[in-house]
Amino acid sequence: MSDRLLDRQVRLVEHLTSGAGIFGAERGTSADRTGLGIHGGLLHLEARFSHEKRMAKIEWALTTTLDLLGSSRALIVRDFVEACPPASISRLENARQFHDFLLARWRREAPEPPHLPDVASYELAYATVRAGETGVGHETAALEARPGALRRRPSVVLLRCAFDIRPILEGRASDVGPDRRETFLAVAMLPGADEPLVSDLTSDLFELLEMLDQFADPAVFEDAPELDKLISELAARGLLEVHR
Amino acid sequence: MPDQAEPDQAESVLRAFRESQRAVAKSRPAIGIGYRWNINDWTRANLAQFDVLEITLDHCMNGSEAARAAIFDLVGQIPLTAHGIGLSIGTDVPLDLAYVDEVSAIVDRLHAPAYSEHLAFTRVPGRDLGNLLPVPKTTEVAESIIAKVRGVQSRISVPFLLENITYIFDWPDSELSDAEFLSLICRETGAGILLDVENLYLNARNHGFDPYAFLDGLPANAVKEVHVAGGVTLQEDFLPRPLLQDTHSHPVPEAALDLLDYALARQAPAAIVLERDHRLDAVDEILDDLGRLRARLDRRFGEAHVRPALGPAG
Repeated sequence: MSDRLLDRQVRLVEHLTSGAGIFGAERGTSADRTGLGIHGGLLHLEARFSHEKRMAKIEWALTTTLDLLGSSRALIVRDFVEACPPASISRLENARQFHDFLLARWRREAPEPPHLPDVASYELAYATVRAGETGVGHETAALEARPGALRRRPSVVLLRCAFDIRPILEGRASDVGPDRRETFLAVAMLPGADEPLVSDLTSDLFELLEMLDQFADPAVFEDAPELDKLISELAARGLLEVHR
Repeated sequence: MPDQAEPDQAESVLRAFRESQRAVAKSRPAIGIGYRWNINDWTRANLAQFDVLEITLDHCMNGSEAARAAIFDLVGQIPLTAHGIGLSIGTDVPLDLAYVDEVSAIVDRLHAPAYSEHLAFTRVPGRDLGNLLPVPKTTEVAESIIAKVRGVQSRISVPFLLENITYIFDWPDSELSDAEFLSLICRETGAGILLDVENLYLNARNHGFDPYAFLDGLPANAVKEVHVAGGVTLQEDFLPRPLLQDTHSHPVPEAALDLLDYALARQAPAAIVLERDHRLDAVDEILDDLGRLRARLDRRFGEAHVRPALGPAG
C-alpha cells in the first residue's frame, strides 16, 4: 500500500505543479489525464489555486520585477513553472527560485527592460533582509574578535547596480527609464527598525564595506586618515557593528 | 412501531440530555482570530476584543524577524493556541521529526494548550504544493496516519488536534465518509479534533453530503477547537457545477454558524477561531463576525460577559 499511495501522491503533485495542469490541458474536459480517476476540471482548478498562491508569494517579494516583465510575463511564468517546481512553502524561497530562474534566463537572452536584473536583485535583497535571513556564518568569526573590532553589520546586503534604479524604488519611475550609471546600494535592517534601510553609497564606501566581511581591528585604520573617515561615515549610517 | 419511548425512559433520557447540556454549558469557548502579521498593529490595539489568538507555527519558522518577535511578544498578554500548516501528515513517507521537534519547541514557548494540524498532505519528496490535498479515506491510509499521529504525540507536550480540510476533489478509492475517517484516527490515537465548520459547510455543498450527519458521526467531546471563515462561490465553464471556495476572505455564512450551533450541543471546544487571510483591511467585517459568534454563544450559554478561561495567558 505504502509505495502505491506515495506513487499516486507524487503523480498527483507532479501534475498539479506542471504547466499542463496549471495552464489548462485539462480545461473544458472531465478527462482524467493522470490515470488517478479524478475529474480533469477539478484537478485544473486545484492546480490553478496552488499556482496563484505560489505566485502571490513571489509577488510579495518581487512586485516591481513582475510588473516590469510586462507582456512577456505570462510566457516567462509558464517557463518558470516547467523549470522550477515549488520546493518550499516559504515566500522567500519561492521568490529566490523565481529570481534565480530569471538570472539564468538573462544569461541566455538580454533582459527587457535592461535594468530589470538590478530591480530583481534589489527586491530579493530587500525581502531577504526584511525576513532576517542574512548574516549566517558570522557567529564563529565574532567569537575570535577583539573588543572594539569592526565589521559590516551581518544584516547588510550589498548591491552593485548597473543602473541608477533609485527613482523606481522611490516610486518616481519615468517613461524613459533609469540612467545607466553604476550605483552602489546597501540594504540593512537596523536595530529597532520595522523595515530595511536602503543606503546609496559611493564606490569607496561600498568597497570598504565589502571588505569588512570579518571583524577588523580599528587600529589598522588609524594611519590612514581617508579610511578612518570612511569608517566614520559607515558607522554613522549604522552599517557597521562593533564587537563588545 | 411507536417512536416514543416509555414515560420513565423518556424522562431519564431528558434528564441525561439536560445534564450533558449543563456540562457543556459550563465551558463557554474562548473566541478569537488567527493572528496575521499584516494586521499586527490593529490586532494589538484591539486585544481586548479577543479571548485567544491562534498562532500559525510556520509563520514563527518562516516569517520575518519582526513578525517572529511580534508573535513571541504576545506571550503573557493573551492566551495563544498553536496551529500548523507544514506537517503534511498525509504524505506517505515517515514523519519529518526535525519539523515536529521545531514545532514542539515553539508550542512550549507560546505556552499553547494544544497543537493542531490538517488531516491532509501538501508535499511529496522534492515538491511542495503549499496547498492542502485530501488523502484517500481508507482504513489502510488511516492506519498509516494513526502511527504518525502517535509519533507527533510522543514528541509534543500538549494535546494534538486534527483539522478537517476542505477539498476540491476526492480520491476514487475513498471508502469511508469524512466523519468516519477523522473519527477512526482520533478514536485510535486520542487526538482531538479541530472542527472547521466552514470546511464542513463547503464540502457538504460541493460534494453533496449532509453536514449534520457528519457532526453526528464525530465522537462526543472530541472537538477541542473550532475554525470559522468565509469564502466565495466560483463558476467556471470547465467545472461540472459552481464550487464554494474556502478563501478566508469574506464574512462567515450563517449556514456555517448554524452548523457551529449544532456542534456545540455535543461538543465543548475550548476555542473558536475566526480565520481571515484576505481582505484583511475590512476589519469591521472581522469584528462583525466576532460579534455574530458571541451572540450565538450568548444564546446558548447565557450572556456571560467575563472572559472564558483557556488557561493562563502565557
